[in-house]
Amino acid sequence: MKILGISAHYHDSAAALVVDGVPVCAVQEERLSRHKGDAAFPLLAIESCLQHAGIAPDELDAVVFYERPMLKFDRILTCALRAFPQSWRAFPKAMKNSLGEKVWMRGIISSYLGVPGRKVLFTEHHQSHAAAAFLTAPTRRAAIMTADAVGEWATLSVGDGERLLNGATIIRRFREIRFPHSLGMLYSTFTAYLGFKVNEDEYKVMGLAAYGQPKLVEQVRKLIRRTPDGAFALDLNYFEFHTTAERSYSSRFIELFGPPRNPYEPIDLDTAEGQRFADCAASVQRVLEDTIVELAQALHQETGLTDLCFGGGVALNGVANARLLAESGFERIFVPSAPGDAGCAIGAALYCDRVHFGNSDRDLPDHPFWGPSVDGSELARLAREDGHYAVEFQDGALIDQVADDLAAGHIVGWMEGALEFGPRALGHRSILAAPHTAEMRDRLNREIKYREPFRPFAPVVPIETAARYFDIPPGGTRLARFMSGVFPVRREWRSRLQAITHVDGTARLQALEPTMAPRLHALLEAYGRRTGIPVLLNTSFNLAGEPIVNRAVEGYSAFLRCKIDVLVAGGTRVIKRPSATARTQVDKLKIREEVA
Amino acid sequence: MDSARPKERPTAFDRMLAPVHRWIWSDTDRRVQKLLRFSETETDGGRDILRAAEVTSDPLLRRLYLEHAIDEFRHGVLFRHRAAALLKVSPSGSNPGFQGDWLAPGGHGLDDLQVDGESDSDMLAFLHLSEKAAASRFTIYREVMRHDPPTRAVFEEILHDETFHMNYTLTQLARVEPERHRRHLWRARLSRIWKAYLRLATGVAGILGSMLLTIQYFVLLPPFAWLAKRAARREPSGWTMVSPGQSASLDRQY
Repeated sequence: MKILGISAHYHDSAAALVVDGVPVCAVQEERLSRHKGDAAFPLLAIESCLQHAGIAPDELDAVVFYERPMLKFDRILTCALRAFPQSWRAFPKAMKNSLGEKVWMRGIISSYLGVPGRKVLFTEHHQSHAAAAFLTAPTRRAAIMTADAVGEWATLSVGDGERLLNGATIIRRFREIRFPHSLGMLYSTFTAYLGFKVNEDEYKVMGLAAYGQPKLVEQVRKLIRRTPDGAFALDLNYFEFHTTAERSYSSRFIELFGPPRNPYEPIDLDTAEGQRFADCAASVQRVLEDTIVELAQALHQETGLTDLCFGGGVALNGVANARLLAESGFERIFVPSAPGDAGCAIGAALYCDRVHFGNSDRDLPDHPFWGPSVDGSELARLAREDGHYAVEFQDGALIDQVADDLAAGHIVGWMEGALEFGPRALGHRSILAAPHTAEMRDRLNREIKYREPFRPFAPVVPIETAARYFDIPPGGTRLARFMSGVFPVRREWRSRLQAITHVDGTARLQALEPTMAPRLHALLEAYGRRTGIPVLLNTSFNLAGEPIVNRAVEGYSAFLRCKIDVLVAGGTRVIKRPSATARTQVDKLKIREEVA
Repeated sequence: MDSARPKERPTAFDRMLAPVHRWIWSDTDRRVQKLLRFSETETDGGRDILRAAEVTSDPLLRRLYLEHAIDEFRHGVLFRHRAAALLKVSPSGSNPGFQGDWLAPGGHGLDDLQVDGESDSDMLAFLHLSEKAAASRFTIYREVMRHDPPTRAVFEEILHDETFHMNYTLTQLARVEPERHRRHLWRARLSRIWKAYLRLATGVAGILGSMLLTIQYFVLLPPFAWLAKRAARREPSGWTMVSPGQSASLDRQY
């Protein structure tokens, strides 16, 4: 049975193809269209999935959209009515937006793919999140929690899932919290208040939080109160996201927290103003964690289960995930590699296969590499055309050479195999570097990633030796599989792992199993043999404002525009000819910034 | 060859609009908004050109496009920094602008450039005309910006790059299509006119649509709004139970 899952039209569109119960391809539209966070209908992603499997659209048994468009429209219209007359500006925009395209998904899918309308199906948004979290996790029975900004009406749901011995699958949602009461919207409101981009820069708030003290927790608690039944409700007097499209916080919010940050001004943590913003971030982070932990504790008591599958955009918060593991009572927490809306494409397709069609459960490969593969020969051709040094290696020799490069302090763009599905680079489209000095972190921020200095870099370490360098609690390696948890760097190693140790002594580590990415694992071991510490800095292979690279040519263009020293794709290793290293994009921007 | 290359020169239309431009740029807040919009446009343009560099099979074009894309990104930074500097001295204070995107359009604009599907010659013709139009406009902006030397300097600097871009795109177009480069330019001109019409038509339709919807909002919605508010007041806060059959059928869109 061939089922295509689609998520689109909010942010981060994606498509996923499930054949005979197993995903064969899943890719985010942004990786192909090269528009970061592309929300458009994922035609390129669909084409890529179908091409990968070698099937035509009319061979599909079903196409599943990840949410119910009319139910979502119902929420948008109802909210506009409830906010009458303040919603008068937002109303025309909302209607044009929804009625222009979004509510006609059956017809749109049908016409784009040429499949009959009866083959187009719809899951609920949080049903898709729940399925993505549970059906990709290696567990037979687990509690399920999903939390994001908003789906149709639900913003958070709890339930459970079970794989029965007869092969049947059950996913139940017990209850949900509905819009506008939303943990995701609370966090996003602070994201906007702190001058970052909503739905894109929430992780910056998390990074900034480590620099602050949760001094404003009491104020944040005024915004979100717990209800007698154990849920929560936002005090809507402090928000405007439910009434306008212009601003997500109200004047009362500003009275409580002070003036918002100008997004065009850098955050200077040495000033009182910069510290206030960091304290805001730390406070909302703390309240988010407390709320999530309490909800999960209640779910644990209710279900008595040992495993929790956690999905939705909030599950990208690694600090909260680590606290969940430590305090909720669950022994293992499963967060998929793409817990956000993109992952709903895979969730919707799997839900359709297991629950709607009732197909037997299948064990799924436990890795995030579902995208198109990289072609090393393409890189070799491009580099030679431009006069750069390209050498194609046998595998062992390449690993040794790259380990030497890294040990010599070079920064390596590393592309191998299939592209990751989800926001994290987990070793197939990564920038790798030695993790030992703060200078390396600063160099990466300054010369390659071109980003705020308060943002940390993540490490990758072989799972066998992870506990030596990081204080990982029981069950922590599962969270660390897809970089979903933040754990302390052991005190004795912090001075030797400065580039990946955040200001609070933690790191969002990836603990790598040899079977998941064998070449990267071999590289870590080879690097460890040279330096004594088999840990590398692993950051996503992209430049500021761009999606993670997909094909060799995109890695190559990023390589030429920044100060990555070595580029590897498949078995090909490229270094720049000396004249090309003189002026990169970053140099130009830096020079002009100084002038400006 | 150099003497035959186009120089930046405002078109008659832009010259005619100079008083309007002068008025627009005289106000600090408007200047900030314009600069921020330019910053976004330049950055977006940079991404498109970067994509062109990635998809072309011509090594020389790849290098030129890369250089061009880097210039556009730099222009984006220059505009953004100037806007940020002006924001500091703006009498109305800083305006962080739009923040929520729960109404995100969820698609690309009508006139989005489909770089992957363009041939090198079409791309070059398109870029040449875009750069030429930008150079014409920026020349006027530079002239009306005498009261603000730092902003004028930004335009001056960018204009220098735009002239280079305008020239190299024409030279390369003549190289890759020696016989038919004029035809490509004309086709690109017609395409620009069509896209301008689409933008205008969409804009007008958007305004009309907004007007009609706003009228409906105030005329038709009040009783429904009253009902919705009454229902909201009765709605209990906290958990909402999910009945087992609520989402059982995947055929429904609601």
